[in-house]
Amino acid sequence: MNIHLFVNELRLQWHEMRQYWFETFSSLFFLIGIFLGLFYGIKGFVLEQGDGQSLDGLVLGFLLWTFATGAYGSVTKSLIEDTQKGYIEQLFLCPNGFISLMLCRSLSENLVGLVMLTIIAYIVMAITGNWLTINFAYFYGILLLAAPSLVGFGLMISGLALLFKRVETVGAMLNLAFMGLVALDGLPLNIFTFLPFVPGASLARDVVLDQSALRLDYLLIVIANSLVYLTIGIYMFRAFEKQAKKRNLIGQY
Amino acid sequence: MLAVKELCKSYATESALSNVSFSLNRGEVVALLGANGSGKTTTVQSICRLIEWDQGEIFIDNVDTRRSSAFLKQIGAVLGGCRNTNWRLTAKQNADYFARLRGFSGASIRQNIETLHTALGLDEHAKKEVMKLSTGNKQKAALLCALSYSPDFVLLDEPTLGLDFNTVNDLQRIIKDRAEVAEQGFLVTSHDLGFIDKICDRVVVLDHGKLLFEGSLDTLKAKLFKYELTIELNQPLEMTILNKLWTGRFDLHVDQRTIKVNYGSPDQSLMMLHYLHENNIQPVQLKIDSLSMEKAYQTLVQQKEVK
Repeated sequence: MNIHLFVNELRLQWHEMRQYWFETFSSLFFLIGIFLGLFYGIKGFVLEQGDGQSLDGLVLGFLLWTFATGAYGSVTKSLIEDTQKGYIEQLFLCPNGFISLMLCRSLSENLVGLVMLTIIAYIVMAITGNWLTINFAYFYGILLLAAPSLVGFGLMISGLALLFKRVETVGAMLNLAFMGLVALDGLPLNIFTFLPFVPGASLARDVVLDQSALRLDYLLIVIANSLVYLTIGIYMFRAFEKQAKKRNLIGQY
Repeated sequence: MLAVKELCKSYATESALSNVSFSLNRGEVVALLGANGSGKTTTVQSICRLIEWDQGEIFIDNVDTRRSSAFLKQIGAVLGGCRNTNWRLTAKQNADYFARLRGFSGASIRQNIETLHTALGLDEHAKKEVMKLSTGNKQKAALLCALSYSPDFVLLDEPTLGLDFNTVNDLQRIIKDRAEVAEQGFLVTSHDLGFIDKICDRVVVLDHGKLLFEGSLDTLKAKLFKYELTIELNQPLEMTILNKLWTGRFDLHVDQRTIKVNYGSPDQSLMMLHYLHENNIQPVQLKIDSLSMEKAYQTLVQQKEVK
């Protein structure tokens, strides 16, 4: 991780968001629109059962899913779009290495994503009237600790994209799969704990919805989950990158 | 110095590069010439480490580029096919982004970008994103990015593709100026020999991945044929006779009744013309063309005349 690269990526995001403000706002409203459709679609059904907690869970689940897709997409979207936009080769000329660049980009996108998430959270809570008492310091801290697992997962898929190019279908399927991931309970330790992001999502749910105290052992599980997936992701990306360079596939789309 | 040593690369059974060696010094402009598929782009991509090569080494200031990617700070590259900039940003934003990507920022870099932006004639398009620029201006934006942080070595892969005459002239001027004033070394691949002729100190010619020639442009020119004699006759002439009529360095092609000879000096053709006159042979067609550098270069490649 390099601070200059990170700042550079933040600047890039700022330029793109400012110059394409319509896209920025429309994607924000699109997400809110999806959520409202979902929320009011099931509200009547849930209230009939007198389960107000489920609506809170829905709001939080949506926020977690938005973050998860963003964290995963920060690497894959970048690689695929930059290949299409036509300057992926130039990114491979980064002296700090392509992976460092992607990690910096991912961190900057995730931080911007958290700002967007806060905006979405307040708009959604205001519209629906379901106000959650969120300790944002804990919530964001947990999400940022859990995000590397998704980044690692993104690196694996990006490595495949270097070789096989068309992986959008896999990405679309994964976006749906993330809905399941953020709903699974990975704490205390069980089989789901080993899936990417699941412990992080579970811990965030515990802290935000159940107002539970932050447990160190759970936090360590989240960190371990992140480290394992990030390490595997980096290792696999390097292996795919080597193959792509051997076969002269970098940048070909 | 950038040194390529005995570079080999093959795809399956097909050899893309075979023992290619050459060097590039600071302040020098070297042309990498060759037909499509000759290995020019593979060479440039290898220098950038976008390709894993099989054998050989590439050194920058005696440091093996395989050992560390830090050498990329010293490299600027305009790769083929307008694939060098983020199309959603302006040329200046791109230049700033790529300079920072290499670890360069600050007032001097900003000043350099401003100066180059103006020199490249991009000021009138300052507010346009790269996607809204013409092909020529996209190429200029890519050049701005590659030069923004004043790298020691600049690799330009087919920089004249799609450019109009004026833009090519601008490009020539900028490359010459940067090589002389900023002591930057340029490796330029191109099919455009007219472009190469005006800016290059040395030429490296590749053919099917093999080094065909390395030397000064003047030496290359001396190796090129200057004239082409075409004679069409009513009856074919025997090869034994034809071969006796030509001396020195020449290249003879006979296709039924058409004889085509490439040669370097006007007096080489006299014996042939004298023979036709002596034997009262009336040619159906007889013409002598002065070969352009492009055409002459093609004849060199066809002959595969190794240095």
